[in-house]
Amino acid sequence: MSRWTLFILILLLGLGLGLVYGWVINPVSYQDTTLDSLRIDYKTDYTLMVAEIYHQEGDLDWALNRLTLLEDKSPLISVENALKFASQAEYTLPDMFLLRDLHNAIKEID
Amino acid sequence: MEQNRGNMYLLTGLILGIAMGMIYAWVISPVTEVDTHPNLLRDDYKDIYRSLVSRAYLANNNLPRAEARLELIGDDDPALALAAQAQRFLAENGDNEMAKVLANLSAALQTSAGPAATPAPPTRTANSEEGTSGTSSSENNDQETASSTREPTSEVPTSPTPSPTSSPPFILQDSSPICDPTLGETLIQITATDGSGEGVPGITMEISLGVDPTEIFYTGLKPELGLGYADYLAEPGLTYQLEVPESGLVIADIEVPTCLTESGDSYWGSWEVYITHPN
Repeated sequence: MSRWTLFILILLLGLGLGLVYGWVINPVSYQDTTLDSLRIDYKTDYTLMVAEIYHQEGDLDWALNRLTLLEDKSPLISVENALKFASQAEYTLPDMFLLRDLHNAIKEID
Repeated sequence: MEQNRGNMYLLTGLILGIAMGMIYAWVISPVTEVDTHPNLLRDDYKDIYRSLVSRAYLANNNLPRAEARLELIGDDDPALALAAQAQRFLAENGDNEMAKVLANLSAALQTSAGPAATPAPPTRTANSEEGTSGTSSSENNDQETASSTREPTSEVPTSPTPSPTSSPPFILQDSSPICDPTLGETLIQITATDGSGEGVPGITMEISLGVDPTEIFYTGLKPELGLGYADYLAEPGLTYQLEVPESGLVIADIEVPTCLTESGDSYWGSWEVYITHPN
């Protein structure tokens, strides 16, 4: 085996070790995340909070503004995702109604 | 010598490979963080989260649900975190409405954790420790807290949280200068209590200097000093007017007094105001 071949093999071995270390053993630590990275149950609860406030205050612009922070393709999709998860997780009917109302309100202007 | 050169180039290749791998894994293509927990949110997003929880509480009046949601953020003391955020909002952007909503939930948490005693005048001092919050709780059991967030079943929200200020109007109980060298600041200290002597949070205070614009603050933003406590940093030599607009109560001629220590040195004192609901 030539010296160059051996060098390339060792280089690849090092590359693999570096990747394992950087991705698995000691990955980048996230402390300052944004709302779009939240797990689906937390996103659903966030959306439910917006729905609760929208139900009380009726300010759809404000609700859309808050939902935009979830950075889905659109606020409507955020509420649809929340509805799907809420259904799977068997949220209570009043909570489902709140999400549905918000969904309908957004759909009307979409 | 030839053998050493051979070993060195292998070692160089290995180190170079590891370095390239780590640069790729940490800089070029780091692990994408998904499915995170609210306690990892950046501070400004935590502020948004707390604001949402507070407004949702105002909408549904469901304190257990609000508590469960706040627990997700991981503050050591959620009530204090809310009060601190309210003060920050007031100081930074004058968002009085949001500050009041935050203070309202902070006060509700304090109340649910047990009454914070507000001592009767005139023995109270600002640096007393009574009424310290007991709501600290920041465990982060993901699944448990995520489900508990929606677990306290709410009915469809009907009416906003009854404001503690919708009670009978306040009357002035005491308004006088105090000399307390331990305070270290020239404060106008206000304590609002109900008929039973408990502190009343969320009372709007307006303070003005003649024609100068009015500044607004609220009781309950420093829950460690009592639910009905509020203070304002006053300038010596100026005369202030304090108003409790919801009660139509105006307290005029508030000034920072000049006090003397035992050794005869002078220092600036403070002013304390006690208001209460009539029994």
